[in-house]
Amino acid sequence: MSESPQPYSEAKILRVSLTDNNIVEQPLEKDLVSEYLGGRGLGVKMLFDGLAPNTDPLSPENILIFAVGPLTATTVPTAGRFVVITKSPLTGTIFDSHAGGYFGAQLRRAGYAAVVFEGSSPFPVYLWINDERFELRDASRVWGKDVVETTNLLLEDTDAKAQVACIGPAGENRVKIAAIMTDKHRAAGRGGVGAVMGSKNLKAVVVKGSGKVAVADSERLNEAVKRARLLIKKNSVTDKSLPIYGTAVLVNVTNEFGMLPTHNFQEGTFNDAVGVSGEKLLERLSVRTYNCYGCPIGCGRISRARGEEVGGPEYETIWAFGPQCGINDLEWIATINHQCNLMGIDTISAGSTIGCAMELVQRGNLDAPLHFGETEGLIELIHDIAHARGLGAELGEGSRVLASDYGAPELAMHVKGLEMPAYDPRGAQGHALGYATSNRGGCHLRSYLIGPEILGTPVRVDRDRPEGKADLVVLYQNLSAAMDSLVVCRFTNFAWTVDDYAEMLAAGSGLPVTGRDILTIGERIWNLERLFNNREGLTTDDDQLPPRFFTPLPEGNSRNRVVHLDQMLTEYYRLRGWDADGRPTKDRLKNLNIPV
Amino acid sequence: MDLTVEDLARMIDHTRLKPETKRGKIKQLCEEAITYGFVTVCINPVHVAYASELLKDTDVKVCSVIGFPLGASLSTIKAAEAREAVKSGAQEVDMVVNIGALRDEDYDLVRSDIAAVVEASGNAHVKVILETGLLTDDQKRQGCLLSKEAGAHFVKTSTGFGPMGATPYDVRLMRETVGSEMGVKAAGGIRSFKDAIKMIEAGANRLGTSSGIAIVEDFRWAQYSDTWMQPDKPCWDCPSRQANLAKQPKEVYVWYKQRCLVCPDRHLNVFND
Repeated sequence: MSESPQPYSEAKILRVSLTDNNIVEQPLEKDLVSEYLGGRGLGVKMLFDGLAPNTDPLSPENILIFAVGPLTATTVPTAGRFVVITKSPLTGTIFDSHAGGYFGAQLRRAGYAAVVFEGSSPFPVYLWINDERFELRDASRVWGKDVVETTNLLLEDTDAKAQVACIGPAGENRVKIAAIMTDKHRAAGRGGVGAVMGSKNLKAVVVKGSGKVAVADSERLNEAVKRARLLIKKNSVTDKSLPIYGTAVLVNVTNEFGMLPTHNFQEGTFNDAVGVSGEKLLERLSVRTYNCYGCPIGCGRISRARGEEVGGPEYETIWAFGPQCGINDLEWIATINHQCNLMGIDTISAGSTIGCAMELVQRGNLDAPLHFGETEGLIELIHDIAHARGLGAELGEGSRVLASDYGAPELAMHVKGLEMPAYDPRGAQGHALGYATSNRGGCHLRSYLIGPEILGTPVRVDRDRPEGKADLVVLYQNLSAAMDSLVVCRFTNFAWTVDDYAEMLAAGSGLPVTGRDILTIGERIWNLERLFNNREGLTTDDDQLPPRFFTPLPEGNSRNRVVHLDQMLTEYYRLRGWDADGRPTKDRLKNLNIPV
Repeated sequence: MDLTVEDLARMIDHTRLKPETKRGKIKQLCEEAITYGFVTVCINPVHVAYASELLKDTDVKVCSVIGFPLGASLSTIKAAEAREAVKSGAQEVDMVVNIGALRDEDYDLVRSDIAAVVEASGNAHVKVILETGLLTDDQKRQGCLLSKEAGAHFVKTSTGFGPMGATPYDVRLMRETVGSEMGVKAAGGIRSFKDAIKMIEAGANRLGTSSGIAIVEDFRWAQYSDTWMQPDKPCWDCPSRQANLAKQPKEVYVWYKQRCLVCPDRHLNVFND
């Protein structure tokens, strides 16, 4: 990037053809910014336009996009993240996966809005972006290495101040639950985006950006940021719970509500929840906390497990290898989390799939040494998953394939092939609808109604009531699509309203947007994702939950509850302006300026 | 309800009453009150002079609590405390009623206790905190009437340190008792804009809360969905649900719980959710 600060509108797209080692810079189209912002929205639009229907996600024809947003590397809190957009090998849907750390900020400071990878390299490579210079380099030296070793070696080869996003052995072996890792233990974890990277023989992207970014109205942005930081400071979740306990603060909360999925969602209460809680993590393993780029919250933490400093573990990981598998050994959970990070594996899908396998064993469908509550052999199993060996190879396909192969598809706790995270949907109707309708499958972040339904932010709503939930799900999905296109952290949503994002976007980019406008942009992105999925053959049948969630939980504070999905889905489609088959109508697409 | 963010802010006493409060927090409280246009900052008497200095030439008033939080000081002490607070710059005082006297039905003492503070406060408005969680409905009504007779300007539900916070039920009862010419302040446990609006709908025209910023900021969510304001489960708002034997006199606790037996929504009172 040149010496003078660069506005987002002048950021470039780097298009990398891996097959023939050809890299070109392209300008960022103005219309794309005003209609899709950047990040997820930009990636979704490029993928929708550029990918032929029914492309094999692990073929060279798939496209892999790294993107940042119009606020990245500005003073806006948390705006140092990046997003990866591709067609998922795990779900077959369009997919975006996000990570924090510092990589996104450096990519933007190097002058880029996105890097688009096409084709497949004949040998392992990594992309080295050093400000305005870029090249593909031989990655043979790091192929087969774990994430930490890879990161260290690539920083030696390039610049100690650079940032690395890489895959571990799982990605190299095209394991469908492989992650892309940055900062050694932060993950763009979900959907097998690491496998797509591996299928392209792309081991890593290394970036050093030293340029400055320009904003449209620095005075206005300063005011907006000052306000935004105050709001973070005044919010108990962002000022107290997350900084002190990290995301693990949720263990005791969800358990109290009877929504902490236990033994593969057979129960919603874990007897030993306290032993794997955020409070216990603080007391037993915590070494220090850390912040991602520009983040005043600081939910990240380093723990000590078995004599080693390790990243995390996060709430979802604690759940996946803890209650989901009936395990109460927090130190062991921190250790297996570290092993997943080294191998580049999504901990949610890995833990959930292992829990699924344990239930298959429990019910006699599978003969394997996997039993709820037992840790023996599981760390070795993580390595087998990463290297696609034996039972590990089967688990690496995800729970949908595993359970189906063993004759019990109903035991896979997934939506659209993506393992559901750590909230039993029977305890929160709106959250359940969010799972079912998520464009990327079983995801808690597309519409985090745990906020209002469980945590009471911004206000508490009745978690058992299906009425009105479709309205909130649509609101949260549209907002999350916009937030992911600004590429800011989801946790800001505890403290900021729609209008705050709009104000920072307007000040930062010069786009004349209001809160309503960014919701419309989010809606546009959501509908385009839906069209992509429809094009891939997904229907309303895929907006479903596993049958388990239509039978009541036996005990705990969500007992006797089932999900009232049909009632909410009908209302959801109506509010979305979709037909009964869950397809966006021409009128709605026209209103959103999406070419029919 | 046709209520703007600004309207809502102008109903809020921006409150900080914790004993550990340092001057830095008072400064922050005052700055926030100016920024958001809150009607007062509500603080302990020791901070009144400092806050008054910070807020001079602004529209934000200083409100001092008196006899707080027990209401068990001598009337002369309450009056002297109010006088000093007003002298230091307080324009409103929130006094705690003599709760024991109210429960003893010693109405002359209750009335004179309030009147002493009203007189000592001069032009400053006086709000009388009943601490509803320690009272039955009849006692709350009596407290309202005595406050009115003694010349107070507002009745207020709670200190925030007692066994219960404000509930729409109590606010409604108090509004019905004092009529429209007197103020009703809801305070204690008001943390969200939904809580705030429910209190206003029940008849409150002043809200005491330490969550003022969150309430006003989050109120902007209201425009994006009607679901926020959907009715809650009836027990959520009911004082009987909040009743706590460890914190209340036995007979008051039992009185609250007995209401549950004849409640028209009792069929919904199965689980504490």
